[in-house]
Amino acid sequence: MEEEQEAEEQERFSSQQRLKAAVHYTVGCLCQEVAADKEMQFSKQTIAAISEITFRQCENFARDLELFARHAKRSTINTEDVKLLARRSNSLLKYITEKNEELAQLNQERKVKKKKKPEDGNQTCREPAEAEGGEAES
Amino acid sequence: MFIGWDSEAGLRGGRTETVVMERASAGFRKNHCFWCPWSCGWLALSPPSPQELVSRLLHLHFRDDRTKVSGDALQLMAELLRIFVVEAAVRGVRQAQAEDMALVDVDQLEKVLPQLLLDF
Repeated sequence: MEEEQEAEEQERFSSQQRLKAAVHYTVGCLCQEVAADKEMQFSKQTIAAISEITFRQCENFARDLELFARHAKRSTINTEDVKLLARRSNSLLKYITEKNEELAQLNQERKVKKKKKPEDGNQTCREPAEAEGGEAES
Repeated sequence: MFIGWDSEAGLRGGRTETVVMERASAGFRKNHCFWCPWSCGWLALSPPSPQELVSRLLHLHFRDDRTKVSGDALQLMAELLRIFVVEAAVRGVRQAQAEDMALVDVDQLEKVLPQLLLDF
């Protein structure tokens, strides 16, 4: 029994380690961009520290989001919860609100495109069918 | 696999290393991430998309299994986290510039950390 528990714990552990490594990689990429832009180098320890901070901050974010959604009697976290999360700094809240509107617009445009697609699809389907029909007859 | 990361891990990470490294060694050499203090062979083959990464990060810390995240909220969270990292980096750079340093070290990061956490 103990061996099973230990194996399970090890697996959970290594998946968490992999997540941390993925965060580290992404943070590294972002820091490289900033470094190139500002012409300043980051030490490895700094990048490791930023990724550790990000990982831990995610825990706070996740718990807050879950509680916000539950407070609103929902089980799905939505954009309102995220906006509430960004309340501490005015400029941050403004940026997130704008980004949200941008995303909503993008999704709206994508929906309009999707509605148009089936009409085009039907036309292209008909053409080869007619061609095949023609060949079969001859 | 990642021995150095967490002090709690001790030597436990070492056991899984050989298995994962064997799988990863094929494509590994080409895509080594230079800023990693250790070689994360797993990542070199297929770094996760930001959306997937954020989703996994959030779900890791949910207390209730039924909690889900909408697609829009996920995209917004990805953006929020990206801003968090970039803000930490930029503030670190500003501090290093103020101190006339050529490199952003942990000392500079420590000084900007309190205000960063208060802003988020």
